[in-house]
Amino acid sequence: MIFQAPPVSPGIALGKAFVFIPFRPVITERFLTKEELPRNLEHYREVLDKAAGELSLIIKGLGESGENEKAAIFEAHLEILNDEELGKDILTLITGQNFAPDYAVETVYEKFIDMVSAADDQYLMERAADFRDVKNRILRLWLGVEHRNLSEIKEPSVVFAHELFPSNTAVMDRTKVLGLVTEVGGLTCHSAIIARSYGIPALLGISNVMDAIRDNDQVILDALEGRLIIGPAKGQIEEYEARRRAFLQEAAETEKFRGVKGVTRDGKTVEVCLNIGSTNDDELEGAAWTDGVGLFRSEFLFMAGQDLPSEERQFRAYKKAAEVFGSRQVILRTLDIGGDKTLPCLELPREDNPFLGVRALRLCFTRQDLFKTQLRAALRASVWGNLAIMLPMVGSLEDLRRAKAIIRECREELDEQGLEYNPDIKVGIMIEIPAIALIADLIVEEVDFASIGTNDLCQYLLAVDRQNPELNEYYQSFHPAMFRLIYVASQAFLKAGKPLSVCGEMGGDPRAAMVFLGLGIRKLSMSASSVAGIKRMVTRLDLKDAEGIANRVLSLATAAEVESYLQEEEKKRRNPEDQGVHS
Amino acid sequence: MYAKKTTIINRTGLHARTANEFVKAAKSFSSEITVKKLDERGETVKSGSAKSVVHVVTMILNKGTPVELTAQGPDEREAVENLVSLIEEGFNDL
Repeated sequence: MIFQAPPVSPGIALGKAFVFIPFRPVITERFLTKEELPRNLEHYREVLDKAAGELSLIIKGLGESGENEKAAIFEAHLEILNDEELGKDILTLITGQNFAPDYAVETVYEKFIDMVSAADDQYLMERAADFRDVKNRILRLWLGVEHRNLSEIKEPSVVFAHELFPSNTAVMDRTKVLGLVTEVGGLTCHSAIIARSYGIPALLGISNVMDAIRDNDQVILDALEGRLIIGPAKGQIEEYEARRRAFLQEAAETEKFRGVKGVTRDGKTVEVCLNIGSTNDDELEGAAWTDGVGLFRSEFLFMAGQDLPSEERQFRAYKKAAEVFGSRQVILRTLDIGGDKTLPCLELPREDNPFLGVRALRLCFTRQDLFKTQLRAALRASVWGNLAIMLPMVGSLEDLRRAKAIIRECREELDEQGLEYNPDIKVGIMIEIPAIALIADLIVEEVDFASIGTNDLCQYLLAVDRQNPELNEYYQSFHPAMFRLIYVASQAFLKAGKPLSVCGEMGGDPRAAMVFLGLGIRKLSMSASSVAGIKRMVTRLDLKDAEGIANRVLSLATAAEVESYLQEEEKKRRNPEDQGVHS
Repeated sequence: MYAKKTTIINRTGLHARTANEFVKAAKSFSSEITVKKLDERGETVKSGSAKSVVHVVTMILNKGTPVELTAQGPDEREAVENLVSLIEEGFNDL
């Protein structure tokens, strides 16, 4: 039997299934007689003590192994368990209204869970899960039920569950968990984050998989292609065993390159930069092994609340990123939202073609108040590091000139107010509308730099909506026209001697990156997970060869030809010793 | 009794870590402390104990929510001033 689901944590696992069915209390409405009350109260107090004891033990264990983040989850549980008000509510039901303790616990906790669940907020959903966890712990101890714990997995297994809560995964003995499969969940849920942080292959969101799986069933979990095979044939086991080994070896090999400098075999430096979408510590961690930020998406500031972010708040965020990277450049892209994305703090008119509509810079022109607040914040932050401003969705010289005029206005305002900014701040553009790539020779005169956004460039060049899964086969990043267009832009920037970078997904793909380097581009920006793979390719590439590869690509006719040619060239360089290249 | 109004300014509201920090601070005072969630006109929508993480969390105090803190007891002024500044400093979550 085969199931398919998008992988949330890459890898391959083979083994037996461990079916995890957590304790689910069935509590009925029940009241106590006067005589039953004292004994029940005593038992209830014992149960609370036991629950606190269990939690303290878990916290201690996690503390000793240095897993402080997980310990914090259980400290929060202990806090809930000991909560005065909640405890009072439960006791009032027991002593005042004769509720049986388990029924009182169920009633009070559910009341609070309902209040929290109604809010539809990610953090509060997690709190609801915490409440439910604590409630289940109390009820399990009350009923004296043995429970099947993820800490009790005997032999390495692939874990199947309907859904995993923080308390389930926290006690999980991860040396015994080969893979994770759940019926509920997605890329950003708790299980996905845990799986990725431990490097456990995972497929989440396979509905009804629990009906199909039994304990000890042999399974193959392919979290590269997104496939689950229950009861595989012998040949498949051998095939996937080999794939698993290859994947692990490759991943370990690639990881070694994360900290190296991006210098090619013939000694040319390539800047390997980071795309960031917030100023969270885990995103900024990448500062330790990258040459700057090639794309700082500013939308996160606008997603968070009901109000537009103030200049002060934006300033603090931009300053933080600028400071962390010091002398290395941080390229802030101004607000890139449009009709398809709704922001809680901004009402936008509905459009028939949002991607061709009032998006990004166009929106900023109609809402100049919003644009100027952001520009002022960015200008002020520019004295705290090496911050540059990048304008998205520039389609003409008029667009650029208009935006630059607004930046000038902001600078004059700051001058008048005596507020500091870097007078030499660099201003550049995204190249994502094909028209601008074709007039790169004209636009280059009026910008300090540019960065190619390959995702949008591809969608606009090929007239393919990249969010429509029906069109997957038409969304061809390796279409020869893409490389020809990028060639035109790169020629103009090379000639003018101004920096051009790539910050779309292709910038983090070693195959496409070889071509970009061959076209004279010396700066690539990508998500943190692509850095090691790109550096691995860069350090094994000769720029002379890259030029040859780029030339060849410009002569190929179809996306399939380009892709398979680049695949071959990349493979040759991945393990140059084995292949005898450049001996 | 001592009371003061303020507004939640941190990004994620008083939901997760922030709620724990707030309650922990409240518990360090001996006064009885109440949190009131207000609407735009300043009327109380909900209220609960500042020393109960369950109360604080279930009041759903998002960013931008106006609140009033009141305390009654020997350290009432100190308690309210302290908790108000904690909220206004934004819990390192701005």
